[in-house]
Amino acid sequence: MGGMIMAVPVLLPLAGGAGMLALHFQSEEKRDDRLLEFLTEGLVFVNSLVIFWLLKNRMGASLVLFRLFGNLTVRFKLDPMGGIFAGLIAFLWPLAVLYSFEYMKHENRKRMFFAYYVMTYGVTAGIALAGNLVTMYLCYEMLTLVTFPLVLFPMTKEAKRASRRYLYYSIGGAAFAFIGLVFVLSYSVTGNTEFIPGGILIPEAANAHRNLLLFVYVLAFFGFGVKAALFPLHGWLPKAAVAPTPVTALLHAVAVVKSGAFAILRFTYFSYGAWFLQGTWAQWAVMTGALLTIGYGSTMAVREIHWKRRLAYSTISNLSYILFGAALMSPLGLAAALCHLVIHAFMKICSFFCAGSVMHQTGKTQVYELDGLGRKLPVVFGCFTIASLSLMGIPLFGGFISKWNLAEAAFSCGSSTGAWLPYAGVGVILYSALMTGIYMLSVAVRAYFPVLAAGAGAKQETDSKKTTQEEYRDPGWMMLVPLVIFAAVILLLGIRPGPLMELLTGIGGEAG
Amino acid sequence: MKEAIGLTIPKVCGMGLHFELDGFRLIYLAVAVLMWSVSGVFSLEYMAHYKKKGQYYLFFWATFFATAGVFLSADFYTTFIFFEIMSFTSYVWVAFDEKKESLRAAQTYLAVAVIGGMVMLMGMFLLYDLCGTLRFDELKTAAGEILSGSKRVRLYAAGGLLLFGFGAKAGCFPLHIWLPKAHPVAPAPASALLSGILTKTGIFGIIVVSFGLFGADRAWGFFIACLGLITMFLGALLALFSVNLKRTLACSSVSQIGFILTGIGMGCLLQAAGEDNSLAVRGAFLHMVNHSLFKLVLFLCAAAVYMNLHELELNKIRGFGRKKPALMFCFLMGAFGISGMPLWSGYISKTLLHESIVEYAQAIQGLKMAGTAIPGILGNPVFWHGAEWVFLISGGMTAAYMLKLFIALFVERGLDYQNGAYMKMTSGAVLTAAAAVILLFGMTPHRFMDRMADMAQEFFGKTGHAHIIHYFSAGNLKGGAISLGIGAVLYVFFVRRWMMKEGQYVDRWPSWLDLENLLYRPVLQVALPGICGAVCGFVDRYLVSSLVTVFLTVSAVLCRGMDQMADGIIRAARFSTHSQIPRAGGMKEKRGKRTGALGKWNVSLARTKERIQRNGRMVEESFSFGLMLFAIGLCLTLGYLLLVFWMQAKYT
Repeated sequence: MGGMIMAVPVLLPLAGGAGMLALHFQSEEKRDDRLLEFLTEGLVFVNSLVIFWLLKNRMGASLVLFRLFGNLTVRFKLDPMGGIFAGLIAFLWPLAVLYSFEYMKHENRKRMFFAYYVMTYGVTAGIALAGNLVTMYLCYEMLTLVTFPLVLFPMTKEAKRASRRYLYYSIGGAAFAFIGLVFVLSYSVTGNTEFIPGGILIPEAANAHRNLLLFVYVLAFFGFGVKAALFPLHGWLPKAAVAPTPVTALLHAVAVVKSGAFAILRFTYFSYGAWFLQGTWAQWAVMTGALLTIGYGSTMAVREIHWKRRLAYSTISNLSYILFGAALMSPLGLAAALCHLVIHAFMKICSFFCAGSVMHQTGKTQVYELDGLGRKLPVVFGCFTIASLSLMGIPLFGGFISKWNLAEAAFSCGSSTGAWLPYAGVGVILYSALMTGIYMLSVAVRAYFPVLAAGAGAKQETDSKKTTQEEYRDPGWMMLVPLVIFAAVILLLGIRPGPLMELLTGIGGEAG
Repeated sequence: MKEAIGLTIPKVCGMGLHFELDGFRLIYLAVAVLMWSVSGVFSLEYMAHYKKKGQYYLFFWATFFATAGVFLSADFYTTFIFFEIMSFTSYVWVAFDEKKESLRAAQTYLAVAVIGGMVMLMGMFLLYDLCGTLRFDELKTAAGEILSGSKRVRLYAAGGLLLFGFGAKAGCFPLHIWLPKAHPVAPAPASALLSGILTKTGIFGIIVVSFGLFGADRAWGFFIACLGLITMFLGALLALFSVNLKRTLACSSVSQIGFILTGIGMGCLLQAAGEDNSLAVRGAFLHMVNHSLFKLVLFLCAAAVYMNLHELELNKIRGFGRKKPALMFCFLMGAFGISGMPLWSGYISKTLLHESIVEYAQAIQGLKMAGTAIPGILGNPVFWHGAEWVFLISGGMTAAYMLKLFIALFVERGLDYQNGAYMKMTSGAVLTAAAAVILLFGMTPHRFMDRMADMAQEFFGKTGHAHIIHYFSAGNLKGGAISLGIGAVLYVFFVRRWMMKEGQYVDRWPSWLDLENLLYRPVLQVALPGICGAVCGFVDRYLVSSLVTVFLTVSAVLCRGMDQMADGIIRAARFSTHSQIPRAGGMKEKRGKRTGALGKWNVSLARTKERIQRNGRMVEESFSFGLMLFAIGLCLTLGYLLLVFWMQAKYT
């Protein structure tokens, strides 16, 4: 069956991860480590190649893996929107794995870590490639289960508490999302939960129970919003920053949280359909939620002095940019949301990896400890500065493009519906950009222009300081290569966003 | 230059970049090249002893390209992109020394730049939403239509936001706070650029907004003119009080920006009154160019002082310039120019600006005669006479603080300084050459300055040649003389009498009167993150977590209740229908008796049998128990259904 290749990106990592768990190495020797690394990287790399091959050759293909009962099938389909997400994770995963080899060098229980890390890849690919709501929902629940051990990984008390919280929040949220699933199923044109651009609700039936369906939409939005860290359901994300950096960076800045945002986009534009929601109270309700989160996340990030937790709050705020785009319920909004989904992934994974590298090299986790490190770890902080400027939305960097598109979409939504909320949204985005400036640049500024060096400038004083402080260096190539690639992508997307935007506008035009 | 050259680079940075080269831009590009090359040459000496030279030169030239990009841009999008790059690269200049003050100043600079940029971006969004384009040439017609329509207020909002962004960079009141802080701490060649040309990028934006969007709008012109007058006066006042060489020059920049803004405002007003606004437009433009040159020369003079003494306090550098004719020549050129001394170029531009105010005052008189008087304060000639005096007094203050600097540096005796080589030949040569330009321009205004103005005025929406102005006529000379007279009086009575104590310059400015420390920092550092943060923190700590706790408690109580209920049913069943079957307790007694060859085997066999029997009983028991529970559930369901049917029957 030639179509089976569609399922490979999902099943291969799952099987591989399970295999790794089952495989017993004799000892934790260096040779075994190499073998493990080789296996993991190979598996992930091959999987990414398969995804890219699918993207190139099998766009539009679909595969019914099996039938649950009745009309409900587990079905994979490759459409442009899923393709974007799949391509994104296929690009990020091999690099993140490379990074984590060096990061996890001194950890025990590497096997378990990599096994779940790889399995998560498969599940996330499942969300990206899911062809209907049921499949996506199943993968979504599974994602919680496979990432749970990763949050638990440090096995400290804090980690246990964080992982328990993560589990409660995620499963609870999915329960709300399930309500949405049931309603979509019962009001669907096709009798199943297929993703079709423009939604599958039967107009007459849906309009008859308008308010009920809108209420269910709000429920499901917040339910999926748990993974996207929507206020007030964001509580798990800053806590989960205890996990090892490769987890916080890839999963809690990209894969898991973006799955939440992606699910909301799918649910909004491909199940309900934007036409049904435009201008309704439900739209304003979810938009308010997103805007509150933007303001909340960026303000809290300013208050936070733990570097990784600060980035986690920043993630909360930035994810709601995506949700704000989703809540605009217009083709432009979808395109802008997807644009931020892609660009934010690079920005945030880059900044998390920088934070992780610094932790790995110097053991410093608090922002105030970073004085003067900028000159000692030039590559790391160079990449971090690029990511910060991009997060702020400074031109030449990717973040500017997505914010510009978002604001443009907001304005066009505002003038087409006549509501004031989208305009206020632009104001909130700018407020958040200002806060981003404070919380990101204060880190970079501290690193380059240390407060301690007051009175320096004369040469001898910096010389004397150098001898008293420890020497730190940039990390090894396995950490630097991903960092540099991400920073380069941010710049590239900032300078030439044309191709990406054309693709996204195409998706938006189709689905809106 | 007859035709503007356009360049479009599509799709870069999203919307594509648009550049244009017309007369105005050509001149400003030339000014930028001149300034960067002069201060670049000077930097070679100034920076010789610094360690991080590479970093300095990297950002030095990066800023050059960004600034050139701003001046060449032909739409707001491009302007914004280069404007932001410029802000960030020039930030490094301010923070370069890494001293405490410079870091604080850099913080201020960055904050103003970031906030200004964000506000500007908001303005751009609004404008784009309103007009559907950001290109300067297309905006003019689009904005004209909107101004006469119902969305007028929105256009004002967009213009105001853009003005905020550009004004922050230009140093317009009340956003001037960064200039007096940032300029003194940056390396002096960089200060020359910050003050001489980076502020002009802000002016560039204000010109585009004023003449490209509003053109003949009276309210806008009045607003800009008022801002200009306030900035002009306050900047001069700050400069007069300052006792630090570079700080005085920085405050002076604020003041001169005020002059330029007044010119822009008058240009709009005159156009609105239906008059020829060429005086105002040409005055504003020429003053821009002049101010760039003055500040280049004056800051480089300050650089020469700082290179030798590492001090900028007037009391500590007094007398440094004695017996240094080259330095004195350069400083004098800048000082005469900026004070508006006839024969130096500043006189020309200030005369034009002054004349434009007088012209407007006459114009509203004329309108009054014609019976179409302008209502309100705008049409009141007294206001414009007041404005004229503010202008003259500010000019006087300019003369006074320049005189103060000159006397402190070159006349008064201070410590004995070694009269050796205080700067290299190359630095001296470029500085002197730049200073000579001021004199050259001032002596032959028609040859250079009028032609430059002819080239540039198209950018302000003006075409055709202006009538020849007799700069050195008696009336014009009178204005200059009044200004200089005020300056002399101010110096003698104010500076010498009040601001000096026992031969030392003292800072008489009340230290609490600092807009930044009084208003902006508290609001930005305490109020905004404090209040928002406190709200968020409160929400986070109490509201969300208590909601979670409440939810968990409620669900725990419910679950326990259900648990208890299930237990209750089981217990009830045990007592009633499924009363406990007595345990087969024979095992233990039997164990002792059965001994033999197969004893062990038998025991285990017996146990297995026992287990099977017990399991069987348990299965049986639980099966019947399950059946019972099922029956209860069925009864409940049936009851519920009955209820529903009954209800339906009753209510329908």
